[in-house]
Amino acid sequence: MQIATKPDKRIGVVSPVLQLPLEIGKIPLNLKFADMARFESAGKRYSTFLSSDKKGLPVLVDLQGRTSLDGDPFTYDLDGATVQLGEDQAEFQRVPHEYSLDSLIRILLSKLLLDRSGFLLHAASVLADGRAHVFTGRSGAGKSTVASLSPAGSVLTDEISLLRCVETRWQAFGTPFWGEFRAGDMNCSAPISGIYSLIQAKQDRLERISPRDGLRVLLPNVLFFSSRKQDNEQLLRILTDIVEAIPVYQLYFRRHADFWKVIA
Amino acid sequence: MNPETVLKTNPMLAWREIDGSIVIISPEHSMVHELNPTASFVWKRVDGRRTADEIAEQLAAEFDVTRESALADVHELVESLVANQLVSALELAEVKAHV
Repeated sequence: MQIATKPDKRIGVVSPVLQLPLEIGKIPLNLKFADMARFESAGKRYSTFLSSDKKGLPVLVDLQGRTSLDGDPFTYDLDGATVQLGEDQAEFQRVPHEYSLDSLIRILLSKLLLDRSGFLLHAASVLADGRAHVFTGRSGAGKSTVASLSPAGSVLTDEISLLRCVETRWQAFGTPFWGEFRAGDMNCSAPISGIYSLIQAKQDRLERISPRDGLRVLLPNVLFFSSRKQDNEQLLRILTDIVEAIPVYQLYFRRHADFWKVIA
Repeated sequence: MNPETVLKTNPMLAWREIDGSIVIISPEHSMVHELNPTASFVWKRVDGRRTADEIAEQLAAEFDVTRESALADVHELVESLVANQLVSALELAEVKAHV
């Protein structure tokens, strides 16, 4: 965490700007705060994702004296809190608490990932033998159960997975976004072995599905907030790419650790 | 449907073909539509110039169906696409007025 100052031209005094450089999914962000309590809280929450690179995208969090964003900024309103993304800066405004900040960062990442062949997915990601297994499904599908039934230190996230194609290889990244099963954050990545749509059943069974059915599985579980046509086209291209590159399965499982046997 | 009705896709939609089927996202309504192979065949020929009847002729030529059956299928499909705001139906005179 670093503290810098900048002149506040409106009132002619120097006000502190608290900088929190982060890197999530290899995307550098530089969160800037005026409020010390908010800054310290975010510093703790994202401690595993702190970066030394202050050249990441500036993200002004309820900073006064902001300038208009260039271009045609992407804007999203979340219950009164807003995200704006211009060409070289983002702004969060009216952020009521740290959970809202978490949501706004996810919204911002979902947009930034489009130009980086990636997306956020409601999914748990678990490492096994150096590869990531991605378990997707809506609330109650069993993502946190899968995480809790997996070996300690193997869970990248139990709720929101960040998937990106980096140098022609699809990888899952650890995120600070957790659900019920919050383990220690893991700021690392691994190549994706498979994507599994969770279905609770009386017997463990794995069934590979077609890319088209894979796309059908992914679409409702993608975190996506843009209503722009070109963004939706990009998302469709990215999702089509991943379901053609990575096998997608229906995983019928009993909420027991034995499901790993059918995956292995 | 008027034989001179020209079909045009909604320009706001994002779509992509996968495994021979068209998947469409309506950003405005956050809706996803998936078309079956016949509907996908029709969708790919909706270009703002062809009429539903012309597309039905192509459908009959491509698949082993009668012209009457293809016409009925395409008209029913177009009504569904229009109802879902995926396609708009324009009268030929209306199209010519905009050219």
